[in-house]
Amino acid sequence: MARPLLRPLRSSRNPIFSSCFSSSYQKPFLPTIASAISHQKTHLLPLPSLRSQHSNNTHRLYHSRHHPNLPPHEYTNSQTTILSAALKHVPVHGFTHDALTLGARDTGFLDVSIQLLPRGEFDLILFWLASRRGLLRAAVEQNGLLTKSHPEWVSVEEKTKTLIMERLRMNADIRHQWQDALALMSLPSHIPLSLSELHDLSSDILQLAGDTSVDASWYSKRLSVSAIYASAEIVMTRDSSPDLSATEAFVTRRIEDSKTIGEKITGAKQCLGFMGSTAVGLGRSWGLKV
Amino acid sequence: MKPFMALRRCPSLSCHRAVAPLLLDFLAPSALRHRQYHATPSYQSTETVEAPKPKYVLNKKQREFLDSALRVNQAGELAATLIYTAQTPQVVRSHPHLRPLMKHMYDQEQGHLTTFNQLIAKHLVRPTAMYPVWEAAATFLGWSTGAMGREAAMACTEAVETEIGSHYNEQVREILLWEAEAQNRGEELDDELKDMLATLRRIRDEELEHLDHAVENDSKEAQPYDPLVDVIRLGCRTAIKISERV
Repeated sequence: MARPLLRPLRSSRNPIFSSCFSSSYQKPFLPTIASAISHQKTHLLPLPSLRSQHSNNTHRLYHSRHHPNLPPHEYTNSQTTILSAALKHVPVHGFTHDALTLGARDTGFLDVSIQLLPRGEFDLILFWLASRRGLLRAAVEQNGLLTKSHPEWVSVEEKTKTLIMERLRMNADIRHQWQDALALMSLPSHIPLSLSELHDLSSDILQLAGDTSVDASWYSKRLSVSAIYASAEIVMTRDSSPDLSATEAFVTRRIEDSKTIGEKITGAKQCLGFMGSTAVGLGRSWGLKV
Repeated sequence: MKPFMALRRCPSLSCHRAVAPLLLDFLAPSALRHRQYHATPSYQSTETVEAPKPKYVLNKKQREFLDSALRVNQAGELAATLIYTAQTPQVVRSHPHLRPLMKHMYDQEQGHLTTFNQLIAKHLVRPTAMYPVWEAAATFLGWSTGAMGREAAMACTEAVETEIGSHYNEQVREILLWEAEAQNRGEELDDELKDMLATLRRIRDEELEHLDHAVENDSKEAQPYDPLVDVIRLGCRTAIKISERV
């Protein structure tokens, strides 16, 4: 319905502008655009501090309960307003410029103000991922997602699975659009940010599940959760079973697999360690200076 | 009775004001002190004892510093435990009287490692990606210096503890700088940071104690002393630099 309305708008976009803003480090035009629309949403615009949009430096640093956590994304207020309004149009219009334009219109911005988002549709996807990650954290920390369904003694794997499924359910309404989003995320210039977002998600999931590994398994666990989540996302786009039961079964199987692989590796390491120490002990008992 | 009391209080108040002008109270610190002198004792005690200072908020750079510092410390203590584990059998075999000393040093390093493991888990710091590499390198270093004899093993301890001690010292100095800055602003560090400062100081002193033990046990007589110590110290510094980043 809104599509034909939007056509002329897209074709009238200045090609120079669009090529400028598609690269992530071009921001010289932003202040002028932002000040042009500032009469509409003055209370929302923290001018002129147009910070970098969703820089990938949201990796959590030193964390302490005495110091506030960093927000899950670094969009400015006006960007957040447009993006969160645009998310309501995603189920119908997908992660497209149309959704962004409609979101801007809904919140009283001019159509052109989607230029505030230099990466366009990809910004919408990143905002979706980052805000859902924030919601997942809120669900655990404020609504007690894990404490409600899980008593204290439940293993980290069980909690991880619950969290992965919870995060996947957030995608349920937009899963018919998700393959397009995945395609956009897999463009070479978008891969670093997408991977960093995936890492942040897996890191959050493991942290919320209460994982406290402090050695090399910190990396392997994040890798395996990322792999499970990313593959389950793809499975989910083709899942037509009620309440995502097929996806859930898939996730369960993958977690079992990674557990088995982990056990095999630990077993092999232990075996090698025993053989090594036996060899050294034998050598010492024969009087070798080893 | 009440109006009478109020009447009595009024002149006394105006009398105080005449001595310490209210106008100056918030302008000059000297006037503040002046006023305290005139205030009633109960008022004074609530102001000086109860006042909870605002907490010093770390900025991004300081968080990054703590992040890399904790990561390096954990890696360092891991390496230290592995070095002692690898050295102990060989050193003790030819010098049984060193058994209690080696055990004492190992136990302390083990305690430090546990401390930093807990801190890393608590503050969500990423452990170093070179973890397996440092494990192998530390075991090799401990084993090879152990095989070279007691003096070489002690020289290794001396070199490592010199580097580690100065590294801890830098961290303590940095946190003390923050503390001074916080005091200038009328704030204070939060309890976790205070604890961490105390822990870092304690651990630094224990590491330097190991250094003394090493020198007492003829570390200076290792052959060849200079190349051995220089190589180990260079290796330590490189490992610290790498662990700060990855």
